[in-house]
Amino acid sequence: MLIPRKVRYRKQHAPKRSGRAKGGTSVSFGEYGIQALEHGYVTNRQIESARIAMTRHVKRGGKIWINIFPDRPLTKKPAETRMGSGKGSPEWWVANVKPGRVMFEMSFPNEPMAKEALRRAIHKLPMKCRIVTREGGEFQ
Amino acid sequence: MSEVRLTAEPRTEFGKGAARRFRRSGKIPAVLYGHGTDPKHLTLPTIEFARVIRENGRNAVLSLNVDGSRRQLALTKTITVHPLKNYIQHVDLLVLKRGEKVTVDIPLHITGEAISGSLVNHDLDTLSVEVDALHIPEYLEVSIDGADIGTQVNAGDVELPEGANLVTDPEALVVAVNEAPSAESMEAEADTEGAGMVEDPSETEGSASGDEQD
Repeated sequence: MLIPRKVRYRKQHAPKRSGRAKGGTSVSFGEYGIQALEHGYVTNRQIESARIAMTRHVKRGGKIWINIFPDRPLTKKPAETRMGSGKGSPEWWVANVKPGRVMFEMSFPNEPMAKEALRRAIHKLPMKCRIVTREGGEFQ
Repeated sequence: MSEVRLTAEPRTEFGKGAARRFRRSGKIPAVLYGHGTDPKHLTLPTIEFARVIRENGRNAVLSLNVDGSRRQLALTKTITVHPLKNYIQHVDLLVLKRGEKVTVDIPLHITGEAISGSLVNHDLDTLSVEVDALHIPEYLEVSIDGADIGTQVNAGDVELPEGANLVTDPEALVVAVNEAPSAESMEAEADTEGAGMVEDPSETEGSASGDEQD
């Protein structure tokens, strides 16, 4: 699973969930992509799960690009703990995804199969998404 | 590509509030500049401009009629499109003179299919080309029909129209036909298990004493 090799601070403030993606809003490497339509924290487990969903569906002959990296830690206090006594321990690594961001890209010769693979991957992600093409616009 | 006639209106209101009002009323805020002239702030009709771009591509040459004065040739330089809603937010137009050469990015169209068992990688979407302003091709074609694994098409290999000069590095890779990845290589592609996390030692010392629970 994706995780940073080295971090300066183990615990950080929760990332902001406002605004729109500044860059990475179009398909740059592959033919098709998954674009986020809402904000969301995508965990490294969800990224891995989406990647597996795509690779298992197309089996072979395709290429997948992951354009996001889970570089923000989220902390959690243990159950049945009183408030105070400092910040909880890091629990998840997440990518702070804003609307418009193309998170995954894919190259595959068979269009309907690529669309189905991306549809399966979208089900693993925590926000509304759509499939976009390199030419721009939604994949019909 | 022939020039397309379009009527533009001068714009005297600026800022996001005014721009939003223009967009609501079916107009696109635009600016026209170049050749040392003062920039002119304009509005273009949304539907007509979208049709021009759809039919003639992003390098459409416009013949603008601004407020009834004589026609002005212009080339679309930048079109800002909303990433989610896909509508045109703003247009930058460049003043053109007849007979001048301009450097434009021309889209590449890949045609044909490589042999089965291959995967086509597009490295470049556009080629930067110096061409006569009134003869800008809508797109350049690159054929990979029946291409074998290992075939590479560089920018210098793309056929250009007469009188056009390539600005992009001729050695730049445009399309590569590679062997399609096997199931094993796809499965192992993003496997970074065990990469681990190394913490900053100074921060760890501080947090070790502060993590006590009730």
